[in-house]
Amino acid sequence: MINLIQSLLYGLTIGGVLYIISVGLSLTFGAMGIVNFSHGLVYAVGAYAVYTVAKLLGAGYLLGLVAAIVVSIPLSYLIERLVIRRLYGQAIDYAIIATYAVLLIGADSLRWVYGASPLPISDPVGVLWTFGGLQMPAFRLIIIILSGLIFIGLNLFFKKTLVGKIVVAGLQDREAVRSLGIKVERHFAIVFVIGSALAALGGALYAPLSTLDPYMGFEILILCFAVVIVGGMGNLTGTTIAAFALGMVHSLTAVYIVSSAADAAVYVVMAAVLIFRPIEA
Amino acid sequence: MLLSVDNLDIHYGHAQVLHQASMSLTEGELVCVVGRNGAGKTTLLRAIGGFMKPSAGDIVFKGEPMSGLSLEQVAQKGIKYVYQDKRVFGDLTVRENLELAAYPTGESMDSAIEKLVAIHPKMKKLLDAKAKGLSGGERQILLIGRALVGDPQLLLIDEPTEGLAAIIIGEIVDILLKMKSKITMVVVEQNLATVARLADRIYVMKEGVMAREITQREIIENPSNYEEEL
Amino acid sequence: MFAKIEKNQALTLGLIAALFLVYAYTTSLPRITDFIIFCIFVMGFDLLYGHMGQLSFGHMLYLGAGAYGCGMFAYHVSPNPFVCILMGILTAAGLAALLGQVVVKTGGAAFALLNLALNEVGAYLVLSPMHRITGGEDGLSLFFQSYGFINFGDSVFRFYFCLAVLLLVAFLLLRLVRSPFGNLLKAIKEDEVRARFLGYNTYLYKYVTFIISGAVCGLAGALTSVNLAYCNTSLIAPTRNVEVIFSALIGGAGSVMGAVVGGTAYMTISNYLAAYIVRWEMFLGIALLFFAFYFRKGIWGYARRA
Repeated sequence: MINLIQSLLYGLTIGGVLYIISVGLSLTFGAMGIVNFSHGLVYAVGAYAVYTVAKLLGAGYLLGLVAAIVVSIPLSYLIERLVIRRLYGQAIDYAIIATYAVLLIGADSLRWVYGASPLPISDPVGVLWTFGGLQMPAFRLIIIILSGLIFIGLNLFFKKTLVGKIVVAGLQDREAVRSLGIKVERHFAIVFVIGSALAALGGALYAPLSTLDPYMGFEILILCFAVVIVGGMGNLTGTTIAAFALGMVHSLTAVYIVSSAADAAVYVVMAAVLIFRPIEA
Repeated sequence: MLLSVDNLDIHYGHAQVLHQASMSLTEGELVCVVGRNGAGKTTLLRAIGGFMKPSAGDIVFKGEPMSGLSLEQVAQKGIKYVYQDKRVFGDLTVRENLELAAYPTGESMDSAIEKLVAIHPKMKKLLDAKAKGLSGGERQILLIGRALVGDPQLLLIDEPTEGLAAIIIGEIVDILLKMKSKITMVVVEQNLATVARLADRIYVMKEGVMAREITQREIIENPSNYEEEL
Repeated sequence: MFAKIEKNQALTLGLIAALFLVYAYTTSLPRITDFIIFCIFVMGFDLLYGHMGQLSFGHMLYLGAGAYGCGMFAYHVSPNPFVCILMGILTAAGLAALLGQVVVKTGGAAFALLNLALNEVGAYLVLSPMHRITGGEDGLSLFFQSYGFINFGDSVFRFYFCLAVLLLVAFLLLRLVRSPFGNLLKAIKEDEVRARFLGYNTYLYKYVTFIISGAVCGLAGALTSVNLAYCNTSLIAPTRNVEVIFSALIGGAGSVMGAVVGGTAYMTISNYLAAYIVRWEMFLGIALLFFAFYFRKGIWGYARRA
């Protein structure tokens, strides 16, 4: 029983991280019809920013988190201007190829600067909470709480701000928004940067739970694509539910079957969902 | 002359769907475009609205060429399009739908709401309802009200009465008649009775060509002549 | 001139053969054998991408299925090379027949990503749960029986054998894409809804094409196992999908000749130029961006129109 509760809590942690990263991916998918592999690069850059600030400069993890977000903004702005914007309305394969190219260039740059070997970051909180037999690192609870706060924040953003409303309308009917005289792509770009900043935050949060390597963005990205496909592309509520559901699948597989099968189990669920609800886009 | 369309050609891929279409409007007119399905009415309307690029021909609005402008730019010049299939932003409320329309024009929310309520007072109670919950007629009214925000000079209205119950059609027609003195409109419409009530002038389209121009009088006097063409 | 070559099947095949012979005897036979096998892989992949219009980001799965189908049969059952190659093809085709039922019902982004996800699952299965029969991380060292001059231990024989297989595959694919079946694939690529509207069961056509593509990629995988005399997890690695995509793109997607040109160009760059390019992935990424934005027709597509 304690084992089950513990693995459910771990599932919430993974679900929270998947949610934080997948939101941006889902929006780019739904709003612009673009499969954005370069999202994985921004995630990795977030993790490396934390590593640089917290470990190399010794300025602490919190400042590292800030650095991750700060670095991701100009980076994602450049990616949007130079690559994503040229892909609007193009066939999906060119989007896949071009954004994958960005991921390759970025990963190789990271390897150039930091080397190829895995780099560890230690748990920044380092406190282990125990309730009875239950053991839970405080840092994991913080991730869960933080993902909850981001969920609330994003909901407020999409419900209360003008940019948010334009994006919600644009997800449903981009042409109709344009026909009102609104430059909808410009607003999508703002949301693209926000989504990327969240990916960088996700990378920074997940780094202490795993290790850093230049290609870390690729593996997590496929998990996030599974989230987006299961949740429905551009469907924000669906993305949220799918992130936590697949996080549970990941965690329960790791505990009750074998940890190396966790990723594969998520992909099997994704394939199963596609059997019942094929996506032709 | 508010708008003149000269010898417009439009292609969908290899197929030409509009051949040398021409029309003109003076300020304050309400012009109806009639014709069978596939005659090119909606294509013409969408070309004027900036949704598609003509392969040849000119669209001139207030002396300014419109070809080459993006959809957003055309809207900001004061040409607003009212969709056919009641395409409101379903996940937003009525008020938020107006808010999006008001934002690029700089009009205040109070005045935007006033415009909607002026054409249909009952909308006042529905301001905070999600647009997807509205009835077909209410959605059509919202689309018209939304298009009026920012005081456009030309409204392009695509089949405003399609799929609506007879009573509601009457209401929509009354709304359009009330607007008639203040704004120029091009209305694509299939229903001859509606056309007869609304139009100052009528263009008949056939297989992508402007077949001819007729008057309201001709339709009222000899409806059977035209039923076959529609 | 190039357009004329492409219309004439015998000329196309003759040219491919001549170019590979010249290339092989001026450089190295074993290396060009690798190139030839890779070109077969690109042809199989491009049947889906260029001809059917669906980008798979996971076709290393079918290369791997062919490689392991062949390799495991050689290791555990019988070292007869021809039976092993056949087993490789059947494994990949069978897998494509199984997974294709789900995959071809999706399209666009979902198609690309589902294939990638399945590739991940396949790579995991080979590495971990099935490691007893696949050799896990170490892979399998293989031995193939020889029969007189049919000796797969001999690099000259391997070269001619693989070249013959390439010509056969190119011949069959040229016939396929120029048949009514191929025309329908083109129609599906341009507008699937219209093809469906005309009464064609487009799923069936896509399904069959998916299986053929899987089989050709499996053949390339089986030949890889035979050529290397081993198979390991790098033959099913999902991160290597970019190689075949890049090759199809630079050669010019949607043409059998383009696949050969692209495959050869990519292998030439990665074998001969990579030593001088310090940052290989950065180079690859920039080249991909260039082709995706400015040169979508690819080398052969460009030559054909010039």
